[in-house]
Amino acid sequence: MAPVLEVEGLKKKYGSLEALKGISFKVEEGEIFGLIGPNGAGKTTTLRIISTLLTPTDGRVTFLGFDLRKNPEKFREKISYLPEEAGAYRNMKGIDYLNFMARFYAANENEAKLFVERAIGISGLGERLRDKAGTYSKGMTRKLLLARALMTRPALAILDEPTSGLDVINSLEVREMIKGFTREGVSVLLSSHNMLEVEFLSDRVALIDRGLILDCGTPQALKEKYQASNLEIVFRRAVQ
Amino acid sequence: MKNFSHLLIKEIKELLNKQLVISLVFILVIFNFIGNVTRTEMKKAMAKQKIAVLDLDRSEISRNIIGALNMANFIIEEKSGEKEKVMEEIRNSSLDLLVVIPQGFGQLASSFQPAEVETYSFLRGVSISGRTKTEVVKALLNSTNEYLSNQYLKNKIPGLDPKLLKAPIKNREFVVVKDKQAEGSRAMIIGALTAQNFILPVILMMIIMYSAQMVITAIAMEKQNKTLETLLTVPVSRGAIVMAKMLAAALVGLVSAAIYLYGFRNAFNFTDMDDISKALGGVAPVLKQLGLTVNTQGYILFGISLFLTILCALALATILGVLAEDYRTAQSLSVPLIFLVMVPYFISLFADINTMSLPAKILVLAIPFSHPFFAMQNIMFGHLNMLWLGIVYNFLFVVVLLWWTTRIFATDRVLTMKLKWRKKKVVL
Ligand SMILES: Nc1ncnc2c1ncn2[C@@H]1O[C@H](COP(=O)(O)OP(=O)(O)O)[C@@H](O)[C@H]1O
Ligand SMILES: [Mg+2]
Repeated sequence: MAPVLEVEGLKKKYGSLEALKGISFKVEEGEIFGLIGPNGAGKTTTLRIISTLLTPTDGRVTFLGFDLRKNPEKFREKISYLPEEAGAYRNMKGIDYLNFMARFYAANENEAKLFVERAIGISGLGERLRDKAGTYSKGMTRKLLLARALMTRPALAILDEPTSGLDVINSLEVREMIKGFTREGVSVLLSSHNMLEVEFLSDRVALIDRGLILDCGTPQALKEKYQASNLEIVFRRAVQ
Repeated sequence: MKNFSHLLIKEIKELLNKQLVISLVFILVIFNFIGNVTRTEMKKAMAKQKIAVLDLDRSEISRNIIGALNMANFIIEEKSGEKEKVMEEIRNSSLDLLVVIPQGFGQLASSFQPAEVETYSFLRGVSISGRTKTEVVKALLNSTNEYLSNQYLKNKIPGLDPKLLKAPIKNREFVVVKDKQAEGSRAMIIGALTAQNFILPVILMMIIMYSAQMVITAIAMEKQNKTLETLLTVPVSRGAIVMAKMLAAALVGLVSAAIYLYGFRNAFNFTDMDDISKALGGVAPVLKQLGLTVNTQGYILFGISLFLTILCALALATILGVLAEDYRTAQSLSVPLIFLVMVPYFISLFADINTMSLPAKILVLAIPFSHPFFAMQNIMFGHLNMLWLGIVYNFLFVVVLLWWTTRIFATDRVLTMKLKWRKKKVVL
């Protein structure tokens, strides 16, 4: 089966700084693919390029057979992106925010309603959705945004550090949301600097450091290859 | 189109937040208050002036003077008795002007020797109506002098009109505009034109400033709340996102400006509208004769000029909004924009662009916001070249700015362009 997303030799320069030095990976249908690496490794840059926010300096990105440079609008239709640091409109109620976003993806009112119903379920925010987003805690905002990213059942959900800045309980809940959601047959590309989290979530991971992919595989295979008990040790050995 | 209206509604809702509504209501209340106070004061000043007169002379001449004052729009309250007592009485009343005609005044006046009257002003504050009392004293003296000198002349040269004697030459004034001329005074024409157009620069300034501020705010808030990245990945063209923001800002800006103006007129509309239209009614035929009127074509040209200017402001503000990382930076970034609007505003109020030196003129006209401020004048006085030049200039400006704005939004720069105050460095 053809991969949902294919990244080949991706490069990105910010002025003279080379943030990505040619990275390649594939995301298969229905899998959770994790990019792990320390801060500044180039995870956000990669995800932003695939989400059509940044233009690559070089390389190719193909999604469902479409080329990023030629058909960015096809990417936007079928991809949901959850930015690393994101907020909702503070003066909008949570439910209004979901409605607002749903209508861009829905073909008609009924579908929009369906999306919102689904998001209400995913978010688990209940009655609080009737309050303005400005009153939400960090965890609640993250859940709202994650729900909105997943409600359209995108062909690919791109989640940048989905649990960053959240406490243990909220992180756990968010992880459960992601894990539960992909049972519905949607691919996820996520990034994290928390290696243990990625190990728990991902079917396959890529180790990324200073703009290069060091290795790629299932957590199990990587642990065996580097004879390590967890991905943190795998990463440390891969860097050497 | 469906997505565009969807975006537009969201943008308008975001802009019409509590702060804006509160500030607009506040403006209305303040202006209403100022208006009420000034109107009462003006009414007081306009009303017939009440003055006290103490005639210690009681000659024929002094009686006649009091009669003349009565005719000259003063309400006379005659006092009698000792001067000290009368002063004491007035000090404890609300009257604030006393005219004393001393004993022997008639005697001196009828023998052509300098005669004196005394006026006492009772100061109780420095309000507008109090200040106009100074004018009252002058008018009083003028009336008295006028009356006396007319009497003298009548006595010396009977059978001749004293008015003709004092002003043997009459001036017929004509005003020429290009190849047209009409009878009327320069002051009258300029006064009429100013009265007609005095509110226009304020309107222009408000519209431009409000729309620019709105669009900067709309984008900066998107950045501050960290919603921009998400918005840019939804399946809507970037053009639609920018246009929705601009249109929403223009609409909310227009409404805010209208409300502001309504308040402004309430506050500073001293003279009754009736008075203005009456005054203009007399001048209108003269203006028409001179060709100083604006026809439909003129209004259309003015509209085009204004429209292009608003677009310029919106596009410029959009770029500034992208540069700003948060709301506060956005506020400080809008300062230079406001300054650029203030320049033509003040020049249109206090100077004549056509008589300025060439470099100064070029400098002012290089500001794209300048053109509508001078458009009306250019239309009336037939400087159509300058008008068209302004329109073409603004059009080019708009095209370049809009192109640049859409480029910024279509590329990385919408996320990577930054202006950091601390480092005082622009990273483009
Ligand atoms: N807008 C930008 N301008 C300049 N450099 C940037 C910009 N964004 C990211 N970088 C640099 O690119 C590198 C990769 O950053 P990023 O992709 O955010 O890493 P990660 O998400 O893995 O922490 C870092 O060195 C970072 O400083
Ligand atoms: Mg990152």
